[in-house]
Amino acid sequence: MSVTKKKRISKKNKSAWRKTDIQDVEQFLEDQRQEERIGTFADKKDADLFVVDATPQKVKPIILTPKEKRKLNAKKPMRSHQALENTSKVQDPIVKRNHVKQKKNGRNIELEVCNPTKGRHRQANSDRARYYEKLDQRLADKNSNLKTAKDIWQVEDFRDKIPGLKDEKGWISRELALHITGNVGRKVVKTHESLRHSTTKAKKFEPPHPGLSYNPSLEAHQDLLAKVVDREEGIIKTEKHLQRVTTRMFSKVTPEQRDLRRLMEMSEGVGDEADEVVENEDKADENDDKAYHTVNAPVENKKKSKHARRNELKQKELKRQHEAKKALKKQTADLLRIKSIRAEVDAEAEELNELKKHRKKVAEKKKFEPKRLGRHKFVEPDIDVNMPEDIAGNLRNVKPESSLLKDRFQNMQKRNILPTTVIASRKLAKIKRFPRSSHKEPGVSYQDLRQQRKATAAAAAAAKDTIKL
Amino acid sequence: MRRPNKYESGEATQYISRRTAIRRLQISLNDFRRLCILKGVYPREPKHRRRAQKGSSEIKILYHAKDIRFLLHEPIVWTLRDYKIFAKKTGRDRAIKDFRNLKRRLALYPEIKLDHIVKERYPTFIDALKDLDDCLTLLFLFSTFPSLHLIPREQSNLCRRLTIEFLHYLIASKSLRKVFISIKGYYFQAEIKGQKVTWIVPHYYPFKPQSKHEVDFKVMSIFVEFYTIMLGFVNFRLYHGLNMAYPPQFPSSVLQDNPETLKDESTFVSDRIAALNFELLRTDKVQEDEEDPDIDMELLEQDGDSKRIIKMKQDAQEVARLRTLFKGLKFYINREVPREPLVIIIRSFGGKVSWDSTVFAGATFDEADETITHQIVDRPSLTKQYISRDYIQPQWIFDCVNQRQLLPTNKYFMGEVLPPHLSPFVDAKRDAYIPPEERALHDPSLIETHAQSDDESEEEAADEQAEQMLLDAQLERAFHDENIEDKKYGGRDGVSKEDEEVPSDEDEDDEEAEDDEEEELDPKTKRKLEEQQKMSVQSGKVHKVNKRQVHKAEVDEHRLQARMVKPRHRDLFRKLIREKQSKEKEEWLLRKKRRNIEATAKEAKKTAKREARKAAATAAASAAKLSSK
Repeated sequence: MSVTKKKRISKKNKSAWRKTDIQDVEQFLEDQRQEERIGTFADKKDADLFVVDATPQKVKPIILTPKEKRKLNAKKPMRSHQALENTSKVQDPIVKRNHVKQKKNGRNIELEVCNPTKGRHRQANSDRARYYEKLDQRLADKNSNLKTAKDIWQVEDFRDKIPGLKDEKGWISRELALHITGNVGRKVVKTHESLRHSTTKAKKFEPPHPGLSYNPSLEAHQDLLAKVVDREEGIIKTEKHLQRVTTRMFSKVTPEQRDLRRLMEMSEGVGDEADEVVENEDKADENDDKAYHTVNAPVENKKKSKHARRNELKQKELKRQHEAKKALKKQTADLLRIKSIRAEVDAEAEELNELKKHRKKVAEKKKFEPKRLGRHKFVEPDIDVNMPEDIAGNLRNVKPESSLLKDRFQNMQKRNILPTTVIASRKLAKIKRFPRSSHKEPGVSYQDLRQQRKATAAAAAAAKDTIKL
Repeated sequence: MRRPNKYESGEATQYISRRTAIRRLQISLNDFRRLCILKGVYPREPKHRRRAQKGSSEIKILYHAKDIRFLLHEPIVWTLRDYKIFAKKTGRDRAIKDFRNLKRRLALYPEIKLDHIVKERYPTFIDALKDLDDCLTLLFLFSTFPSLHLIPREQSNLCRRLTIEFLHYLIASKSLRKVFISIKGYYFQAEIKGQKVTWIVPHYYPFKPQSKHEVDFKVMSIFVEFYTIMLGFVNFRLYHGLNMAYPPQFPSSVLQDNPETLKDESTFVSDRIAALNFELLRTDKVQEDEEDPDIDMELLEQDGDSKRIIKMKQDAQEVARLRTLFKGLKFYINREVPREPLVIIIRSFGGKVSWDSTVFAGATFDEADETITHQIVDRPSLTKQYISRDYIQPQWIFDCVNQRQLLPTNKYFMGEVLPPHLSPFVDAKRDAYIPPEERALHDPSLIETHAQSDDESEEEAADEQAEQMLLDAQLERAFHDENIEDKKYGGRDGVSKEDEEVPSDEDEDDEEAEDDEEEELDPKTKRKLEEQQKMSVQSGKVHKVNKRQVHKAEVDEHRLQARMVKPRHRDLFRKLIREKQSKEKEEWLLRKKRRNIEATAKEAKKTAKREARKAAATAAASAAKLSSK
């Protein structure tokens, strides 16, 4: 605490004297008088002087997290219900209003559990106990491996399970029993045979090619390699074919050429027309007197004469007669040709037969091939092979090729169990991003600029120094 | 009568698109996928797609309408719907942080029950065995997986447990037949109840992550979910068929309780079970004594010996021999060799096996044991070697099993370049040209004859004979030494020796019996006997086969066959004949080629040798000249 110096005031007049501050003196004298009245501090006891502070210390205000606030708020009555609250000071004019007793928010279950008063409380308690028992059982079952420890292939009759259906006296026929099961609520569902029908004749297990051995014999390995090469060549061939048929079908030009061509194409006829117009004008000047003349001959409606028509008809009739005669002649001639005709017919039949056979063969072959189940066609996966340099010849250094999981997955696709799918990577939508209008880039302050200037100056000075030295 | 509209009957009603099916079943696409896999309902390809799709020609995934109708009855559809409810409720609990309820709900997770589906898909046990190939391959694969996204750890643990149980059955029943190491993994083929079950076990390497784009993990996980249940039931049935306790337990005699085991008994036991090196607890107390296959064969004998029955008998004998292939042998597996496949093979053919106890729990004897007959190593050399055992590479085990006999170990010694590992899934007796090398691999007896037939020139033959003699002598001496050693160590293959001794005793008995008879006979018969003894033994003639006659008989038979073929099968018969001829021709050609090549090679060798000898002679002559000078 700083003691402020008193301002000196002139004491020239009486009135000036009155302005003198004598409060401190007065205060002191007052204090002295007080002491005289009630005694000094030294005379007093501590207990008289001090009082034990019984009021609690001021607690720091608790800062609630938003989550806690939310929780607290949840306990409060809803805002939306505030409008329904009666805030009026006016008393209800109807004295005997039927008050609806508002239920408390939920039951106090703990109370019900600890000291059940009603029958349903006791019932609930016993139910809960049973539930926990069951739960324990369930958890124990989950951990043990006894889930599958039973013989499901034991021959059993559905009639044994339902009491009353056990047919000892031969009164209940099987059909009747089946009917009853449906009505009792335990219907016997028959699986239809189509379910077990396999859609492919391909083998479940394909024996591995001997060249797949970790230490194959030379022949087997060569054979496998030849297979791989064959496949690869086939792929290359189709690729080449596709390229020939698509990409290479079109000639390539440089961009300049392309632009030039476009220019030419677009300006086709523009300059010519102008020229032509000029020329035409010249020509028009030259031969103004010549008549209009087209390239095509004029169409004439020329009528045939009656005589010509008659003649035509006659000719037609003659031709028809001639043809009939010819056909008859051929028929008689064919009688002699029966043998060769038969041969022809036979040849045709043979051809048809061949075709039939071929179709049958194709159909048979198709039975072994994977079916087209979905949008994508099954493509035979690449053959796994160890290249000659990878074959170590001992078990320690085997280089495992192919992943078994992939192999199985593709095998299932091959056997029509799974449709062939291509897992597409989900493309993220293109989002155009831009800064908000409310958000601005932090600018450069004057202070920064000054610092920058200083730094550059210092650098320059240092550089100068070095040069001088 | 109303005229039926288009697509109201026929193929259009037989098929249902996936969308429609989902709508009809009121489940989500993922649930539908799961349901289909669990129930074994697969998409179909219609005959006429346009008709089946009611005029639309884009390729949709179609299902048989009957299949979908069948799915409507399925009780697990309700469980799948319960999942949806469960997800909603737990999601709510989690959102409002009601963890008490959440815990309760999680404990009551609606489990899918697949028992009835297994029964439905495989009405008989044999049906289940027929479909075990896929199941085993997938489970063996999944048992190697760590916990991945979409594949929970419990699933891979369950797979491991089930596969180990299955392997225990395999060992106890001795039903393994073929094994093959490929670059994909180990192929195993077992014969269970007459069904050939083949599966692949991946190589024992660290897990390699698989890209999502190639394989749909979710789908595979659903398959595995079904297969685990199925294999559980199959294992139970198999164990009971062998009178073994399920889940697998050890008899109390095998594992003595000591403080170490009592500390954590469950892991101790599960480790030993995973080691596959102990006999399991049986429920019938009777030690294995399998005689039933023999009985079957005797019953068959009454039916007369057709070719098939003879073949069956041979097969049965072969299998019986195979089951005790490694009996009496004691193997030690070195650290660098993959333990599990070898243990399975050795134990399922009656051998005893152990390994370094630091590698895996359950080792029964250590490397220093002198009674070990074979040590399996896969490294070029070893510092400390025992003279009493063979150091072989793992391929020996596999090749022995495939050829159903103990092969000579010399080709498989440590550091040797191994002979090729042939696939047992290729028929060795196929009628096509088989190069002599491969044939020798299948039947080692062919090697020597092949080698001997080669050397025709006298000098070479003499040389080689001498060498052969020397080798034979060495071998004989080695064999003798070995025998002595065996006697010292109590005989490692005592069984075979006993077998040898038994017949000789019988012979002696027979002779004695004859002597007794002679004393008792009366003079008349004695004279007869004497006459018989006078009859001298004449030198036998070699039975000459009249080749022409044989050929003629063959041709006749063939003609008869041709005549007996039904007219509608004639084409087929001709085709078969043609195929056979072409195959024979091909074989003959290849053999001829080989003969030519060999002849030229031999010629070259001979000339080289002759020249060398000439050169040596000239050199000697010049040397002699020099010395005389």
